[in-house]
Amino acid sequence: MSALSVANVTVVLGESTIVEDVSMEVESGEIVALIGPNGAGKTTLLKAILGLIPFKSGHVTFFDKRLGQLGPDRARLGYVPQRLELDRTIPVTVEELVTVNTPRRFYSHAGLRRALAEVDAESLATRMVGQLSGGELQRVLLAMNLLRDPLLLFLDEPATGIDIEGERRFYDILEHLRAKRGIAVLMVSHDISVVYRFASRVVCINRRLMCQGKPGEILNDDTLERLYGHAAAVYEHHD
Amino acid sequence: MMGLEYPFMQRALAAALLMGILCPLLGVFVVIRRMSFFGDAISHSAFTGIALGLLLGIDPSLSAIAFAIVIALGMGWLQARSRIPSDTIIGVFFSGAAALGILLIGLLQGYRTDLFAYLFGDVLTIGWADLILAAVLLIGVGGAVVALRRPLLQMALSRDLAAVQGVPVAAMEYLLMTLLAITVAVSIKLVGIILVTALLIIPAAAARNVSRSMRQMFSLAIAFGAISALLGLFGSYSLNTASGPTIVLASIALFAASLVRPRIA
Repeated sequence: MSALSVANVTVVLGESTIVEDVSMEVESGEIVALIGPNGAGKTTLLKAILGLIPFKSGHVTFFDKRLGQLGPDRARLGYVPQRLELDRTIPVTVEELVTVNTPRRFYSHAGLRRALAEVDAESLATRMVGQLSGGELQRVLLAMNLLRDPLLLFLDEPATGIDIEGERRFYDILEHLRAKRGIAVLMVSHDISVVYRFASRVVCINRRLMCQGKPGEILNDDTLERLYGHAAAVYEHHD
Repeated sequence: MMGLEYPFMQRALAAALLMGILCPLLGVFVVIRRMSFFGDAISHSAFTGIALGLLLGIDPSLSAIAFAIVIALGMGWLQARSRIPSDTIIGVFFSGAAALGILLIGLLQGYRTDLFAYLFGDVLTIGWADLILAAVLLIGVGGAVVALRRPLLQMALSRDLAAVQGVPVAAMEYLLMTLLAITVAVSIKLVGIILVTALLIIPAAAARNVSRSMRQMFSLAIAFGAISALLGLFGSYSLNTASGPTIVLASIALFAASLVRPRIA
């Protein structure tokens, strides 16, 4: 039983078909990267999977159940958006943001401290959300999702706007959580080097499904040229 | 003492405190969701509702509430179903409601002085029936906000995060608009159509300036609303000025003070 199964999903917004007939699966303990050029429909597909945008046809199941049939387990789907569309002048603290977005059965003060510590953010609990840097906010959102003991995590370019060091920490933490908790992760990414390093599998889309497989097998000049155009190429990554 | 020996002043105090406490409670959501002008459009539609009530011989308070709800839900529906920006939708409904109201007033027979009471409001003339209706509706709205504060706040902070967790965001939006329509229509008696959104917005905005948490923002918004109501009502009695504008100016004074105060530690 797959953690996530997407079958022949088509999303139409207005007159335009944004995603066409895409199928893919994510297994528990796997980090799957969703890649593609700008406007390929990656974020739209992620939002359609999560029920934020309706899809015209196809099926999405989580552990063989549809979103509406998940019941209490729906709270165990985690989501870290590309940017939290939060007005930074709202005086909400990290603790309040997490409390209000965490079902009561998962929330405890000690649990919050542990989750924040797990993402290196224990000192942020009483800070105002508007005062956090991009990287700090993404780590807080990750901690918020960990608190609910997620079965599946959806990340939409989670490292956007974070500096290189912050980005490295974010993915190290993610990899640690995948290994420790066996969480299934579907992550939209632009950064091929991150995908190369952290993803168990890659799904490429450009409106339609273009390719899928292990990063080492499919991230070659040929596939990338087909996906991004002739300027794209894989560069050796040196640590 | 300060006129409290008179029943009209006792009723005015009860009404002012009721609105001073409950309007800012809802006002926190209006301010953080940037819905201030939405409130103005609703108050103008309440005016049309009043004109409609007078024309059809229905209690104007009830027709104002009903019409305000219809317009609020209409704006919400159009916002959800179209790609028209929300400020354009509000602008269209705002002027449409005002034009219809003025047109309906023109159809009324004779010169209607009671219309001025709705335009400018006068809490000193509030009767027992109006006070009881306002108390029932505002306490109902306050109860709904307290009971649903969690999903309302989730939605106000991030609509997407709320939706992923199964909060019925569309239904909550319509509910918030309905609560706002009821509050605005009921509060017209106190400060009139022109100033009705003041008690919703100003205490909550002043609270935001000095708060470091949502808990503080809620508490301070309610405190500022109650203080504005008391200062304004007794100030208007002592200075012999109109009560509605005096209450609003008292809240403006608190807002001005909030600009020079740093955030609470």
